[in-house]
Amino acid sequence: MSAPAGQIILLSNDGVQVTVDRLVAERSMLIKNMLEDLGDTALETPVPIPNVNESVLKKVIEWCEHHKNDPPTTVDDDSDSRKKTTDIEEWDQKFMQVDQEMLFEIILASNYLDIKPLLDVGCKTVANMIKGKSPEEIRKTFNITNDFTPEEEEQIRRENEWAEDR
Amino acid sequence: MIAKDPTTVSEPASINSLPDEVLQHILYYVLPRDALLNIQRVSKRLNGLSSEPLLWRYHCRTQFKYWDSKHRIRQKFLGSVGDVDWKNLYMHRQTVDSQTTALLDSILQDQVNRIKKFNFIAEFGYDAKDTLLRQCQTSENAEDVLARRYYATAVLDHVHRSKALAQWAKLGKGEDIPIEKALGAFDLFVLHDQHGDLLEISDLFDDLHTRLRLEYPDLDRFSTRGKALAVVAFLREHNLTGLESDLAYRDLQNNYIGIALQDQDHPSLPLISVSIYCSLARRLGLDARCCGIPNHVHAMVYPSGYETLDGRSILDRADMEPMYLDPFRSDQEVFIENLRHLLGSWGIRPTDFPRYISASTTSSLVLRTSRNILATVHDFRGHGGNTETTGHPTIRLYANPFADMDNAFYSALWANFMLSSPLARSDISNQRQFIPLILERFERLYPMDASLIEQYICPLFNNPSNAEHWELHEALRVVRAADQSPKQVRLRDTRTAQDRVKYKVGQVFRHRRYAYTAVITGWDIECGMNSDWIAHNHVDALSRGRHQSFYHALVEDTSIRYVAEENVEIIEPELPVSLMSLAGRFFKRWDQERRVFVSNIKDEYPED
Repeated sequence: MSAPAGQIILLSNDGVQVTVDRLVAERSMLIKNMLEDLGDTALETPVPIPNVNESVLKKVIEWCEHHKNDPPTTVDDDSDSRKKTTDIEEWDQKFMQVDQEMLFEIILASNYLDIKPLLDVGCKTVANMIKGKSPEEIRKTFNITNDFTPEEEEQIRRENEWAEDR
Repeated sequence: MIAKDPTTVSEPASINSLPDEVLQHILYYVLPRDALLNIQRVSKRLNGLSSEPLLWRYHCRTQFKYWDSKHRIRQKFLGSVGDVDWKNLYMHRQTVDSQTTALLDSILQDQVNRIKKFNFIAEFGYDAKDTLLRQCQTSENAEDVLARRYYATAVLDHVHRSKALAQWAKLGKGEDIPIEKALGAFDLFVLHDQHGDLLEISDLFDDLHTRLRLEYPDLDRFSTRGKALAVVAFLREHNLTGLESDLAYRDLQNNYIGIALQDQDHPSLPLISVSIYCSLARRLGLDARCCGIPNHVHAMVYPSGYETLDGRSILDRADMEPMYLDPFRSDQEVFIENLRHLLGSWGIRPTDFPRYISASTTSSLVLRTSRNILATVHDFRGHGGNTETTGHPTIRLYANPFADMDNAFYSALWANFMLSSPLARSDISNQRQFIPLILERFERLYPMDASLIEQYICPLFNNPSNAEHWELHEALRVVRAADQSPKQVRLRDTRTAQDRVKYKVGQVFRHRRYAYTAVITGWDIECGMNSDWIAHNHVDALSRGRHQSFYHALVEDTSIRYVAEENVEIIEPELPVSLMSLAGRFFKRWDQERRVFVSNIKDEYPED
């Protein structure tokens, strides 16, 4: 089955077909490059997205849909000589109000699909959740196991103590 | 540790399932402080990732703009990331930042030991500059906005002066300093929190170089003469040389290479125009130098290597002669015959011509600039110091014109001291005449420069039996002692004080006779000056004589004066504009409601 004109069918890893505008799908650099490499033959069959399930795929497409007219990110944005802003626009903030599992699924999907601006939003969201939290609070929030011995942890604490009085 | 592929595990996605590169991406958005204090202690994996040199190089690069030259930071940024302990460097800068802030807070706290605190900050060099700049831009709403801005600027000015003198010291020792840095040192004396530091001046020239190459894409195929003419055409096309009108010739701002590059009118004296020319031409690889013709500096460009200016092989001496240019006035070449004619018309003998039409040293350009600055300041004072009058030299630098005139004058004194005598060891008399002038300003305006005087002037006098040696050390001792001793507390606890002293520290007044605006910074219950001063100032001719209260006052022209109460006419302006940039020396802020300055010298006048 081939997709209607200007559209493309994506196949999630749980076997669901999702039809989406080509323009929207091309927010993913992975898909965009694939379409450029394979040409229109790629439009004739559903494109498997092996790392992403249906609910996540739909969520990602929702984001792409909203941002389809954004200007493309420039190469320069990748350089580490400019300060990265931690601001998140309002729509994206609401979009990211999901449970932690979905948040990390979106981050993984955007990383796999190479949707840099969505990955940025996801990472900023996580960074904001870390802000000002103690090590124990961070472990609790994200369910991370403490694999330090008390001595090791104390050592790191002492090394960075100076930052405390600021 | 390698992250698990999320598709192969059944457990739900979590932070643990993110690959390293994504976690690193997150860490770029985390505050450095959170990374150091908290994230590193969460787990071994996060500890490793948040210690990555790339992350800390990013923080170093984005959080700090200025670095002390000892770090050679530009080379470090260009080099391989693993060669530098970036996290350590970041922590060093963060430490400097908190210590600088603490020292500044302490300077604002009371009037004791300020010199030492200034020097502590100055020892950080340019590593302190970012912090000081931030403090210079303290928010309008801060409780001590005026004091904070004033002292942050004062410390920064001191750091700038240290940098400027270091340049001139190198030049004096015969090191090769680029013209733009040797002259940019003058900018440092008046720069404050503005853009135009030495590296920024160099960057501006690099940008001009790029623009020049864009406009002349075939430049590399030009002969040396062609390139030399292209540079002058380019500079004049963009109005980067010369002055709008001859009337403005003596304006102080024409002496500053950084201002000439950045001001929208790009004003510059011939010497600065030529220096701009040479700095740009040298970036093209030309051997461009300044030629010290009296009254009007010219540029000269020498043939390079084995080729004449027009690209032929050099055959005889004549082929090695330079060409002359006058970027201030013209985009044409100036022929040597015209210059000879000019010199002849001034009565200079032809045998002396070579001395005038040869290249000047960078030191002599600095000295010439310092004389231009001194001439303008003299001129300006001669005209009664009115900053507004047209037709007279104007002071249009970055900040308060009176304060900047003092700064400019001080820079010229130092330049003369550091460079006036190339044969320093055998003849220092020339140099010595500037010392009392520098000391006078040091005592009155720049006590924090004690360290600079010790560094550059004291070594000239190593014989303690010498009178000058004694005077110098006495001056330093007195200034330091005054700085170290707590101020005598002045209380209004007697009947006389309560009855006689009508006004308070912080009140703004107009002088009844001289009409200047000033703010009260202290008081005496009667004239506290000696009899000479009393006689000289006709105090006894005042209607209430010497036994009335007298006030110390900071005047809008930066001077401190001593005023009899009968001459004080309190005014309550909405905002005393002309005092705002100066008042921070004694006051925290302007109280809009009460129409007075809020005292920051409570250690001296606790009840005012």
